[in-house]
Amino acid sequence: MIISKTEFLYRAQTDQETLQLWISEEWIAPQGPDTEPEFSEADLARAGLIRNLQQDLGVNTEGVGVILNLLDQIHSLRWALSSRLRAGETESESGT
Amino acid sequence: MFGDMSLRDPYEVLGVARTATPEDIRSAYRKLAKKLHPDLNPGDSKAEDRFKEVTGAYEILSDAEKRRRFDAGEIDASGTERPQQHYYKEYAGAAGPRYQNTSGFADLAEEDDFLAELLRRREQQARRAPGADRLYQLQVDFLDAVTGATRRITLPDGNSLDVTIPPGIQDGQTLRLRGKGAPSRGDGPPGDALVEITIRPHKFFTRDGDDILIELPVTIAEAILGGKVKVPTPSGAVMLTVPKGSTTGSTLRLKGKGVARRDGSHGDELVKLKVMTPAQPDAELESFLSNWTPNYDPRRDMQP
Repeated sequence: MIISKTEFLYRAQTDQETLQLWISEEWIAPQGPDTEPEFSEADLARAGLIRNLQQDLGVNTEGVGVILNLLDQIHSLRWALSSRLRAGETESESGT
Repeated sequence: MFGDMSLRDPYEVLGVARTATPEDIRSAYRKLAKKLHPDLNPGDSKAEDRFKEVTGAYEILSDAEKRRRFDAGEIDASGTERPQQHYYKEYAGAAGPRYQNTSGFADLAEEDDFLAELLRRREQQARRAPGADRLYQLQVDFLDAVTGATRRITLPDGNSLDVTIPPGIQDGQTLRLRGKGAPSRGDGPPGDALVEITIRPHKFFTRDGDDILIELPVTIAEAILGGKVKVPTPSGAVMLTVPKGSTTGSTLRLKGKGVARRDGSHGDELVKLKVMTPAQPDAELESFLSNWTPNYDPRRDMQP
């Protein structure tokens, strides 16, 4: 379900200015037009991660960008690897 | 969990001495959290359990008051977990192409047909993904909700949406208008518009499921002697016979004058009578009543 900007700010416990920074850094990529951005639960969880990185782990702004970029690559790799493994299973099943 | 023997001492969990300064504690926590944060260990569920333990320990030791109470034995290490956070890794697979970054194995895909095909399909899937659903709210008048109506919503972008309200719609019900949501970012179909209906209250009708309720004021004469009175219903006024000897609270049923049901039948209208004395002093009534002795006690159920 779509989360509005107001609800997102409330649930992510953040403010307009910070969110604007996150969007311009492309850490969070809402859908919809700029005037009325639409957020998802995934965006909200991502905001939670950004907060953990900055507040709990003391990562600075540059560091957050690097971590998110690598993390997105890891998730893509995990997806590719699991697809590869599933395809391998199907092959060996049909082979016997 | 109370009395859980596996609860470990928070100092032990963070690996700090009981005399550690707040700075020591913070730096020990950060070191462990960097290693154990579930989103930095997407495939390791053991890390998630340990991370919970570490944040629980930090929750106590980072708060001077909680730490003092723990040291004094007033509280134990339980109940200190943070409210459940949804980690990004739970959504990463489903987050779609927005956060996908396949540049990490683009070189491998060039040499592997399987990977190349996987990426091609993923792109195609992203292109064909439907647009998002959009949520709207619409207030409708009580009678429109009973009899059905068509209403127009003006959208933020200046377009409008015609919504057909079926007869008998309930407060809080959501109508789904297929294809009226956000357009797809690629070549997919648009999402749906979800219109949540709220019903404005009516001046004298209320609703109980399929039945319409109304409180109908009647004169003393109409209640005592009976007679025909005009009653409003959602489909227009009808004449109702008030039986002789009615009183406040007597309920009469008008069959089929209620809310339309899905099968085409209707609920009823329930008319609850309310006996009204004249609002202004009435000399004729006063002189008549002064010669009348009631032979009933309306307060007989209230005897202590």
